[in-house]
Parts: sequence; structure tokens; C-alpha cells
Amino acid sequence: MGIEEILIYGAVQGSVYALLALGYSLVYGVGGILNLAHGAYYLIATYAFYWTWLILAPIIGGIEGFFIGMVIGLIVAALVGMVSYLLLIKPLKEHEINVLMGTFAIGFFCEQLVIALYDPKTHSIPTIFYEYINILGKPIQVHWIIIIVASLIIVTLVTIFINKSKLGKSIRAVSQDPEAAMLMGINADRILMYTVTISALLAGVAAVLYVPVDLVAPYKGWPILTGAIAVVILGGMGSLTGSVVGAFIIGYVRIATNYLIDPVYSSLVPILVIIIILVIRPRGLFGKKEVN
Amino acid sequence: MSLNIQKFREKFIGFPTYLKHWVFTFKGGMTLFCLFILFLFPIVTQNPYFLGIFILAMIYTIFAASWDFLAGFTGQVSFGHAIFFGLSAYGVSATLVFNNFTWWGALLVGVTIAVTTGFIVGIICLRLKGPYLALGTMVIAIMLQDLFKIGQLKDYLWGDQGINDVPPLSNSSTVVYYTILIFMIITIIVLIQITKTNIGTIFKSIRDDETGAETSGINTTKYKVIAFMISSAFAGLAGGFYAMYIRSVGPLIFQPLYSFYVLIMAALGGIATISGSALGAFTFIFLSEILRDLNELDPSNALLTAFSDPAFIFSVILIIMIRFVSQGLLRPILEHLKEFWDILLGR
Repeated sequence: MGIEEILIYGAVQGSVYALLALGYSLVYGVGGILNLAHGAYYLIATYAFYWTWLILAPIIGGIEGFFIGMVIGLIVAALVGMVSYLLLIKPLKEHEINVLMGTFAIGFFCEQLVIALYDPKTHSIPTIFYEYINILGKPIQVHWIIIIVASLIIVTLVTIFINKSKLGKSIRAVSQDPEAAMLMGINADRILMYTVTISALLAGVAAVLYVPVDLVAPYKGWPILTGAIAVVILGGMGSLTGSVVGAFIIGYVRIATNYLIDPVYSSLVPILVIIIILVIRPRGLFGKKEVN
Repeated sequence: MSLNIQKFREKFIGFPTYLKHWVFTFKGGMTLFCLFILFLFPIVTQNPYFLGIFILAMIYTIFAASWDFLAGFTGQVSFGHAIFFGLSAYGVSATLVFNNFTWWGALLVGVTIAVTTGFIVGIICLRLKGPYLALGTMVIAIMLQDLFKIGQLKDYLWGDQGINDVPPLSNSSTVVYYTILIFMIITIIVLIQITKTNIGTIFKSIRDDETGAETSGINTTKYKVIAFMISSAFAGLAGGFYAMYIRSVGPLIFQPLYSFYVLIMAALGGIATISGSALGAFTFIFLSEILRDLNELDPSNALLTAFSDPAFIFSVILIIMIRFVSQGLLRPILEHLKEFWDILLGR
């Protein structure tokens, strides 16, 4: 396995992590909340995608079913995010511990829900972008490239959104100082709801992009959650730049461990990162309280 | 020093009068009543199935009490208590199977492993507050699970299969029952007594206002680590008994689900009431068994199977509880019972 593979697949991992971490960091920056249900958003999105595709593909055709599945996955992800906020996070905002436990419980609930509604087995959604093209001299499935490109576009869009749009500026205001923002007439509560919804949507984007080359399984929520947390802790909570940088660092380290050492150890990488960073430099690389 | 001896002597001599008064209070009477039932239970039935349910509930009580002590009294909420539980279970299993220790020797080894780990984890998590602490402990538990699963390390860590055919504490379920009952009672008494001492007050002050505690000159570092060690010791005790009851141990013992179970049990009973963990653990185990019976009513009905999965029901219960009743069930139930008791006695 050559350096080219590592470069490309590392970029793919980094792109996926970036999407996940971006949303996570936003929620932390705005609400000070560590949302342990982030994995659940990803999980539900993958299942919504899978079921839609399963049902529609024989009727409409593989390609249309695939695309509609993606869209449904995104919508469901955003909905779950909004519902989880309204039901659980909003009423419990004063007590951090309760928010933690509640979102932790949502994670378990979603895992059991998909097992109850479907089955505990692993499935997969074959990608429609399965042709190979040559990158750096090696044959790579187009889908991987799409992941990198799509993620890049979306991260850029989100950054522009945060910096230029009115909602984005409100989000930044609330993350800097909720009370001052409220004095300015911004409904901090509403903003937090939008932020959680956006973060769930971003997790959904990561899900629908990544799952055709990965597996649909009930336990997938947890590695996603630990990955997102690792990236955000490495990059610094509340820093969007940090999330992207951290995402690619961890993505590359994982792929490098995969190819150069042994695949079984790659799942340990995010965890080790979390522990080491929390002990040495809890702030992370770019850590600050505000979203920037 | 002599003041301490004097105080101790006073407490010791005054104990029988204290006991007499305590029995007639509502809490005391209730507790004695429950203990009475627990002691008599094996005489009523020798069925290993029923005894087993109670044994499991008592093991989980010890586990939940240890978590409650750390989280409710010292404010260190750990989402990875399975760390100590699991490591002790592995230690006990290994020494029992490979080194032919006696059960209490193995238990000693397990608890020592747990306490050492508690010390290390306490030190690692010193700088972590609130959500970061929960995160850190959860992540260490996940890491242990992955680590023990790795096939390449099978020679050292026993891989996916773990350790099997662990000899039980004793071949008679009744002996196991009474042993664990006694340990459970000791655990709860010890933990409650600790909270009532000076150290207990220090722990509570750390929970309520860590900065304030530091300002008062309390070495929060030292006491946080001590709290971790005490909590992990009892979690290790529970883990050791668990290994001897289930008679095998594997990487799955570290999974977030078990840390989650302990959370539910402590939360059900009421966080910061050590005895509440007993209520929580027993309720949890009974509910699980009822759910399992529901499941067996009609194994072909997939919907029933899925929805009676304990993890599913409990995650729903936890969500509902966190949302509406975050102080736990023990206090409200006790208060209602107390009103009932007062009415009975005509007060």
C-alpha cells in the first residue's frame, strides 16, 4: 500500500471527520453542550437512507432511489436533531450533568430503536459511483473523491454562512456572550435550536456521504461519537478552524495506522488522542470559547 | 488524638441507644424490614433462578453504590465505571483460573487492581471537570474494550473470548447469596459512614463548590483521587463477584452499556443517596426479568422481542426520568410511604 493511498484515504477520513466535528464544535461553542447524541444523528441518518433506498430502489430504480435516500437521510437527521433539542436539551440546559445523561440515553435509545425496527445485523448500501478513476496514478473509486469534494464545498459554505449571513452572525454572537446577544434582541434559545439542527444536519451529510463505502450497523453511532469528540478536543472546542485541522490530523493518523501498523489499532487512535490531549492540553490546538 | 479516641468511645458506647432509636424511625424500620426479607429469602426458596436474580441485584447494588458515592457525593460523574468493574473481573477470573487462588484471595487481587486503576484514573482526570470527566472515563472504558478485543494481544489479554469456566464462589447458591448479602450490607454501611465523617463533608464541599473548597485550603487534588480510589475499590468488589457469578469474563464487560446500567440504577434510586442504589438495582433487575418473561411469552413476535429488550426500555426510562424526575424515585416513594406510615400510626 503506497503513500498515494494513504494520502487519498486519509483525506477522505479527514473530510468526514471535518463535517462531524464542525457541527459538534458549533453546538459546544453556542450552548456549552457536549452532545453525546451526535452519533445517534449519524446512525439515524444512515438507517433512513438505507430504508428509503431499500424501499424505493426496486420501484424507481437504483440511482433515483440512492439520491432520494440521501435527501431523506438529511431531512431525518435534521429532524432528529431538532426533536432531541426540544425534548431533552432545552429543558435541561441548567444542569450539565442531566444534559450529558439525557443525550447519552438518546444514543442508546436510537441504537436499540433501529434494532427493534429492523434487525441487529450489518448491511450496506452499494454506491452508484463505483467507477474507478486514476488519481496520482492509482485507481480510486469516484465515490471517495466525491466525499472529499463535497465535504470541502460544504465546509466552505458553512464557513461563509457563519461569517456573512445574519443567522451565522447571530450564532457567533450567542457563542461569545449569550446575555449580551439577548440584549441585542437575539433569541439565544432559538439560535441554539438552529445550531443543534444544523449540527445534526452536518452529521447527516457525513452519514449519507460516507455510508455507501462503510456499513450500516446499529453500533456505528459510538465510533462516530468518539471520533467527533476526539477531533473537537484536539482542535479545540468551539474553534471551527481547529475542527477542520484536527479532523485531517486524526484522519491521516488513523489511515496511517491502518496501513503501516495494523488495522485493529486504528480504532484506538481517536481514544488515545482524547486522553492525551485532555491530560496535556485540554484547550486543544486552537481552543477558545468563541466560534471563529 | 485523645479527642478522637474520646469521640470514638462516646459513639461506641452510645451505639446501642442510637440503634434503638433508629429502629423506630421510619427509615430505620423500613431498612430493617427489607433486610429481614433479604435474609429470609433463601429459606423461603432454594431455587437457584430466584436466588440468582437477587444475587445479581446485590452485585449491581454494590456497583451502583460505588458510582453514587463518586458522582453524588463528590461530584465526579464517571461514564466509565465499567473500567474498575471489568478490570477487577478480569483479575479475579485470571487468578482463579490460572493461579488457583481461593475466592477471597482472588477478590483481594481484583480489588487491588481496581484501586490502583482508580488511583491512575483519578490522576488522569484531575484536571477534567464535569462533561470532560464523564467523557474521559467513557473513553477510557471504550479503549479498554477495544484493547481487550484485539486478537494480536490474545496471549496477554485473552482476546475476544475472554476467560471462561471461572470457578464460582461456592457450589451452593445459598452460600453465595449470604456472602454477597453480607458484603452488600458492609458496602452500604461503610459508604454511608464515610459520607458522615469529616472526609465526607470534604467530598460534598468539592461537589458543591470546588473553587470554594480550594479557597478554604482543602487539597481537592488529594481528596478527588481518594474518592476515586474508594469508589473504584467497591466497583472492583462488585466486579469480582460478578465474574464469579457469571463464571466468565470478556471484553464486553467494558462496554458503555454497563456503565450506563449503573447510571440508571443510581439515578432510579436517587443520586446522592447511597441506599438508593439498592432500590435502583433491584428495580432494574426485576424489570429486566419481567421484560425477559414478556419476551418469552411469544418468541416469534419480533416486535415484542425488540421492544422488550432491556437496553431499549431502560434508555426510554432514563430519558423520561432525566426529563421529569431527576432526583430519583427513592425519595418521593419514601415520602409517600412515610405519610402512609404516619397515618397508620395516627399522627
